[in-house]
Formats: sequence, C-alpha cells, structure tokens
Amino acid sequence: MSLLNNLLGGTFDLLLLPFRSLPPMVGLVVVSALCSVGMLLGYRATSNQPAVEAVKRKIAAGLFEIRLYNDDIVAIFRAQGAILRDNLRYLGLNLVPMVFMMAPFVLIVAQLQFHYGYEGLEVDTPVLLQVTLAEGSTADVELDLPDGVRLDAPRVAMPTLPGAAWRLVPEAAGSYEIGIRVGDETLTKTLVADSRVTRRSPNRLAPGFLNQLIYPAEAPLPADSAAIAIELHYQERELSVLGFGMHWLIWFFILTMALAFAMKGWFGVTI
Amino acid sequence: MHTRARRRAFAVALGLLAVAAIPGTADAYVGPGAGFAFVSSFLVLFSTIFIVFASLLIWPFRLLWRALTQRSKIKPKIKRFIVCGFDGQDPQLTDRFIAEGKLPNFERLAKMGCYKPLKTTFPALSPVAWSSFATGSRPARHNIYDFLDRDRRTYLPVLSSTKIGSVEKFLKLGPFRIPMESPEIRLLRKSKPFWTILGEHNIWSTVVRVPITFPPDRFYGAQLSAMCTPDLLGTQGTFLLFTTRSADDTFKEGGMRVQVEMNGDRVTGTLQGPENMLREGNPPLEIAVKAELNRNDNSAEVHFGDESVSLELNELSDWVALTFNAAPMVKVRGIARVMMTEMNGHFSLYMTPIAIDPEKPAMPISHPSYYSVYLAKLQGKYSTLGLAEDTWALNEEVIEDRHFRELALDIDDERKEMFFTSLDKLRKGSLTCVFDATDRIQHMYWRYIEKGHPADDGRETDCRDAIEEIYVRNDKIVGELLDKVGPDDLLMVLSDHGFASFRRGVNLNRWLLDNGYLHLKEGAEGTDEWLLDVDWSRTKAYCLGLSGMFFNIKGRESQGIVEPDDVAALKDEIAGKLKGLRDDEHDEVAIIEAFDTTKLYSGPYLENAPEFVIGYNRGYRTSWDCATGVVNAPLFEDNVKAWSGDHCVDPRLVPGVLFCNRDIDIDDPALIDIAPTALQQFGIEPPKHMDGKVLFKDDAKETTG
Repeated sequence: MSLLNNLLGGTFDLLLLPFRSLPPMVGLVVVSALCSVGMLLGYRATSNQPAVEAVKRKIAAGLFEIRLYNDDIVAIFRAQGAILRDNLRYLGLNLVPMVFMMAPFVLIVAQLQFHYGYEGLEVDTPVLLQVTLAEGSTADVELDLPDGVRLDAPRVAMPTLPGAAWRLVPEAAGSYEIGIRVGDETLTKTLVADSRVTRRSPNRLAPGFLNQLIYPAEAPLPADSAAIAIELHYQERELSVLGFGMHWLIWFFILTMALAFAMKGWFGVTI
Repeated sequence: MHTRARRRAFAVALGLLAVAAIPGTADAYVGPGAGFAFVSSFLVLFSTIFIVFASLLIWPFRLLWRALTQRSKIKPKIKRFIVCGFDGQDPQLTDRFIAEGKLPNFERLAKMGCYKPLKTTFPALSPVAWSSFATGSRPARHNIYDFLDRDRRTYLPVLSSTKIGSVEKFLKLGPFRIPMESPEIRLLRKSKPFWTILGEHNIWSTVVRVPITFPPDRFYGAQLSAMCTPDLLGTQGTFLLFTTRSADDTFKEGGMRVQVEMNGDRVTGTLQGPENMLREGNPPLEIAVKAELNRNDNSAEVHFGDESVSLELNELSDWVALTFNAAPMVKVRGIARVMMTEMNGHFSLYMTPIAIDPEKPAMPISHPSYYSVYLAKLQGKYSTLGLAEDTWALNEEVIEDRHFRELALDIDDERKEMFFTSLDKLRKGSLTCVFDATDRIQHMYWRYIEKGHPADDGRETDCRDAIEEIYVRNDKIVGELLDKVGPDDLLMVLSDHGFASFRRGVNLNRWLLDNGYLHLKEGAEGTDEWLLDVDWSRTKAYCLGLSGMFFNIKGRESQGIVEPDDVAALKDEIAGKLKGLRDDEHDEVAIIEAFDTTKLYSGPYLENAPEFVIGYNRGYRTSWDCATGVVNAPLFEDNVKAWSGDHCVDPRLVPGVLFCNRDIDIDDPALIDIAPTALQQFGIEPPKHMDGKVLFKDDAKETTG
C-alpha cells in the first residue's frame, strides 16, 4: 500500500506541479477533465450500455406519455409509476460500474484531498501539533524544531489521552520537517507553510490498510512506535468561484459530472 | 465479459465497495457510476415530479376549459371505437382461408358480430379509399382521386395529397443563407375526418398510419402520418444501390444507382442526401461511405460518416442512423436499412429509401410533433416513409423475394407494437391503425398464387405462401385484439379494398393515340415519359395516374381544346368505345366500363375529378408505360414484374372486408359508412357533408349536432 501511495503521491505531485502557482480551480478543472475521460471509459467498459440506453429511452417515453395523455389522470399516474420503476432499473444498472470504478476513485479523491482540502499555514500564525501515544505508554515526547519554526507556547499535556500538544508558529514560508522524539525513537512530521497548491498532510498515523488508504499523503508511523498519531491542524479549505465558495469535493463532483456529460457523445457512451 | 468472470469481478468490486464505504474523507463521492446515477436519476425524478405536479395543477382548468368549449352535451353509446385496418385484405381470399380453418379469430369475430364485404371507392385506390373512410364522403368532397393529379398548366404529374413548397426568402450570412420562412407543407385532402369531429366534442383519438395524413391533422388526439410521407430526398421512396457496376443506366422506378470505387478490400463512395437549402444553389448534403470487406467470411464493416454497421452478405441490417451536416449545429437525420448484395468481383450495397428519423423528424410526421419521438423512445426506430415497403427494389430485382418479405413483416411488427401500445393507453375514445403489409405482399407475391401468371418465372423461392402467411398473421392480431376488447368497445376490422391479379397492362394513352383523341408532337416518337411528346394543341383526352382519364378542356387545362359544351358528347363517344374493350390476344374483356365521374360523385371538388374512372376487368390494369406517361407502347402487354397483383380495377370487383364485434343493421356496408357510424356511436350526429350512412339503427334523441 505504501508503494502504491508513494507512486500515486508522486504522480499527483507531478501532475499538479504546473498548476502550483495558479488559482486552485485551474488545476482542479484539468484533473476533473482527465477524471471524466477515465470515468467515461470505465463506465463504457463496465456498464451494460444497451440496457442503459433502453431504460433511458423508456424513461423518456414515460415523460412524453405524461405530456401526451395530460387529460387522463390515470394515464399520468401510470406513466409516473412506469418512470419510477425504470428509474430504479437505471439505478440498478449503475451499480456495477459504480462498484468497478469506486476503488480507483477513492484513491484519486484521497490524493486530491491533500492538495485541495486544506489551507496552507500562514507565516506567524500558530498551528496545533498533537502527538497521541498508544494507551498505557509513558514515553516522554519532545520536539526538535527546524529553523523557521518556533514554539509559540509550552507543551500542553492531554488529560484524556496519553500524549502531548504544542502550538507552533512558522516564521517563514516553506516545507519543514518537525522532529519528534518519543522515548528513544525519533519520528518526523511534515509542516507546509505555503499557500500554493501542494501536498499537505494533516495526519501521520499508525500503519494499517484503512489509514493508508484514507491518509496516503505521508508514510505511516513505524509499527512498533509508541506514537499512534501525529496530527497537525491545518484549516479546511473552500474553493471560491466568483465569490461562491464550496468544498473542493463538491466542485470536483460538479465538474466531473458536467464534463463527462458534455463529452459522452465523443466517446460514444450512454449515461 | 464471460458471465463467471463478470461475477467474480463483481464480487471483488463489491469487497472494495465495502471497504470504501467506511466513513472517511472520500466517502462523500463514492464513484462516478453513483454520480451518473445520482445526476440522471435526480433529473428524471425532478422532471417527473414537476411534470406530474404541473399536469395535476392544470388538469382541473383543462377540464373546465373543455367543458366550456364543448359544442354540446353528448351521450356516447360506447367507450372505445377501435378500427384495425388491413390494407387490401380481400374477401375471396379471406373466405377461402376461413373455410380452410386458417383464420379462426376472424371466424370468431364474425360469429360474435358480423362479417360482410365492404364497398370500396371509385377508384379502388388506397389514398382515395382511406380518405373516404376518414371523412365519410366520396372523392368529390375530399378531393383525392388518385395518387397523382396533373398540373393543369404543364400537364405534369403532381402528388394529389400533399403540397410541399419551397423557401423564397433567405438571409445571407457568409457562406450560409438562413431561411426566413418555413416551407409550405399542406395536406390537400379536404373535408373533416371523423377524428377531428370527435375531438371537437372532447373525444380523444389515436390515429396510427392511416393513409393520406401527411402533414398530420391537428385535432384532440395523436396521429402518426402515413402514405405520402416523403423520404429524406423528398420523393415517395427512392432506394439506392451503391455499386461498382456501370452507372450508365438508371432504374425505371424509384431507385438510384450510385457509383463506388473498390480498391482491394476497401470500397469508397458518397451518399448524396437531401438538398442543403442553407447553401446557395442547394447542393446535396453528403455522407462519405466506406466499406472494409472481409471476403473470408462474407462480411463487411460499412461506415456512413461516423455511423458503422457490420454486414453479412445478403442479410439486411437493422436501422442505420444517417446524419447529414447542413451547417454547424444543424443536422438532417434519416434512417435506412442496408444490405450488401455482392462483394466478390463487384461490390453492391442496397439501401432502402432514407426515411425521416422519427426521433428527430426533418418534416412534420406526427401530431403532436413529439408523438413520433414518443413512439421511437418506446419501441425504437421505425419506418416513417409513406410507402414504407420497398416494392420498387423488388420490382427492379435489386433485392430478392425473401428480403422484401422481411422488410414488409418487420414493418408490420413495428405497426403491431404501435397499435397495441396505443390500445393499452386508450381508456376512452377512438383508435385507428392501418397495417399495410397485406396490400404490399399481395402486390408483390400474387404471381405465386395464380397459375400461369406471366410474372412467375418458376424460380425457387420461399415466398410462395407469403400471402397466406400475412392473412394468418392478421388473424393472430385479431386474436390478440379480441382478448383486449371489452363489452363497451366497438371493434371493426376492415380493409379498404380487395385484390385481383395484374396479368396484363393496358396502355390507354396508346388507345387514345390510335383512336385519334391524342396526338404526338411533330417528329416525336411518344417514348418520353410524363406525356412530354404529346401535342396538346390537338389532344382531346389523356390518361394520368392509375385510374383516371382526363379531357383537355378549354378554359381548364392551359392548352385545352375540348369545348365545355362538347364534353358530354365526347364522354358518350369514348365511354361507348371503351365499354367491353377486348384484349384479342387473350380473348378477354379488358375494360368493363369507363365510369363517368359526374355520375359517381357530387361535391364541391368535382371539377378536379378526372372525366372517367376506368373499370378494368380482373387481371388487367393500366400498364407500367401508361402509368409513367409513355404513349408509344403496346396497347396490351404482359406484366412480368414482381408487382403482380393489384386493385386498380372495376371497384365493384374488389370490395374490402368488414368484421365487427356487433351485428350491423344494413346489408351493403361501404367504407364511407364508417366515419358517420363512429360519430353516431359517440352520440354525435354525422354532419350533412358525409355521404355515408350509419351502420346501426339509432335513437335520434341520443345524438346531437
């Protein structure tokens, strides 16, 4: 999984590199277009196209039927019933491609989340770094801060969980690696103080399939580490277009759908 | 994908789904399949709810409006009036097949109500007969006398039922010109069909493929146009033959040869479609045609622009969508079926006439306009051409017997689906549907049921029983129909005319020439089509179309010479000579009588009628040459074409059939009686202009005007 994550992480870093200094929406549109093409090809390969086409025709016929027999209340309700039945059949036909395409898209979305999901840290603005230890661990936790990052306040002990938290302040823009000593071992955590589109990892977690699937931006903690999570509290980001801000995922959904519907004719796909 | 492999992949994917379904950042967007489903389904649901809501909201107001605008209160005797028309079903053959026990459902229907011969119209031609059926009147009131009429100025033939005009005003925009008006498309049939009158009394009608309904009538109901609906080229059906063979000859009837080039296994050519009126000079729209031949397995991949179709040698394709690009964003769409008829040595590809695409019609082919789209969505693409069955291609031997049968029966299946779908939706009102296959199959295969027919060359064919087959298919339709008809429904199964053999052609223009009523231009041989060799300054009478003889009357025709006062005498003279006209070679009477139309009809359009409707004897009909206006041809000749049966004879010889689920009260029903009967059954008094009589005795108090 780590290998896959490294590969995907590198690919997305490379893919989004040209858009790093541009408004985030630009890169997202390009990625959405590429994803739409992939979606269309995947949908075409995994869906039952004749059946999708047939059921969509039936649905359209139902809509015309309501219009045609609009003086006959019984006919209207019959047509509506038929449309609902066909709509369910359509949903059923979409289940197979959904299942096939879900896995790659979860991986893609997870990667994009770390590029578009968080605001970059601002210089001279504090951020909370939290280290959580395994239950029952009594290891001592200390920080080794690189140049350009200072401590804003003394360490705070967490009463409910074993571990500690610090308020850090980046003094200059850039990518940093924070050293964290947990007992005898030394761990690291990335910190990015940069407003451009780049990979930001809010969590570094203990190894595990799900952790790596959902948080692929940083390598997992060593398996025998006393620490089970290192968390840096980046702010969640909203992408704005003409003053209308939404979570990037919603934009991604809209863009991929719109582009896929726009391009379906070129690829000969019935959606 | 193999089923087992698909299942295994599905199971794996389902596992992944289960993993990914665990909440996380990415669970907000679980995949494009879901995305598509969500977006599409949401749109459908939203549209449905909106339309239903709007319909429900408007419904009471519509009811109120209808109640307020209704002409008068009516008291229908029936809930549904259902007419199932089998064009050309012949009483003699029907009797024979019933006697042989092959039509049990017709027999059942006859026992339930009645079965009688149904008097047809003068002439016994489908456009005339179905117009009379619809309007309840004879031709002098609906103005349809034949397929063709003549232009009184030029003497050239024009379509009798429809006028399609051209656009004169354009706005020039670079290389394009934008039409500033719509071309005139007008139905020339006069009088009101019964479905329009029913609509005026808020009674819904569905009218499926009843001839002479192009452009469609506007009334309270739905209608799909039929006979006389043109193909995309604007003709009544021009098949195409893409071929590497010599292109120095054109087909005589209805076809066009298109030269293509073959280079090894590749064939290239161009399909020329309708005129592009968005360009100066109306150049034809074109689609590139390419074929990649696979001679090892007798197949080919044929491309028409972006559309591809895989063909097996001598097998008809399904409908192929043909898209012509007229201008950016402006497309003209048609549909056709194709068949590769040879690929070794020479290449030939047959294409049916390009029908108007019912989903994106280039001309008005239905009322309301989306009705054709609705049917296409419901059952897939279907033929929209008026004379949809390609009889000409079989006549020219471009296709074989079995191909024509397949084309005809496929169209019959399309029609059946339309009919039963419409019947299922109809809770109150009328439904009329005409099936054409009976007529077309009898036209083309009569030679196989009549011993010694000159068109039967004794070849091997599996279509010798095609006529019986279509009657049996009709019987099955009647059987299904009977299962769906209730006690409040009035069902009529009928035909517009019967059928007879067409063994010998008669060229009456030749007879007129020989008898001094028609003269040729100086030096002309009389071999040109459409009477182009005729000297009108000396001609008194001429034949045009399948049944009519016209006089060249002064003041009516542009070069008329017969004084109106002399018409009656000339009529007597010619009628006397034609009555009992013999074919000496066969020692038979060819013409029983020439019927004077002023004695047949009365009505406001009588002046447009031919002077005579020719009553040919069984076995005779106007010859192919006469029908195309060639004068210098034999007076009598054998008909050796596949088109071997016909009904353009003395109408008294070819009545239709009438089966009804109730016994009727008169003994000699006629096609013109159906419309007034329909009105009477819905409690509406038939209007005075209807010539027909009501088939059921009526309590006058129950009807109202």
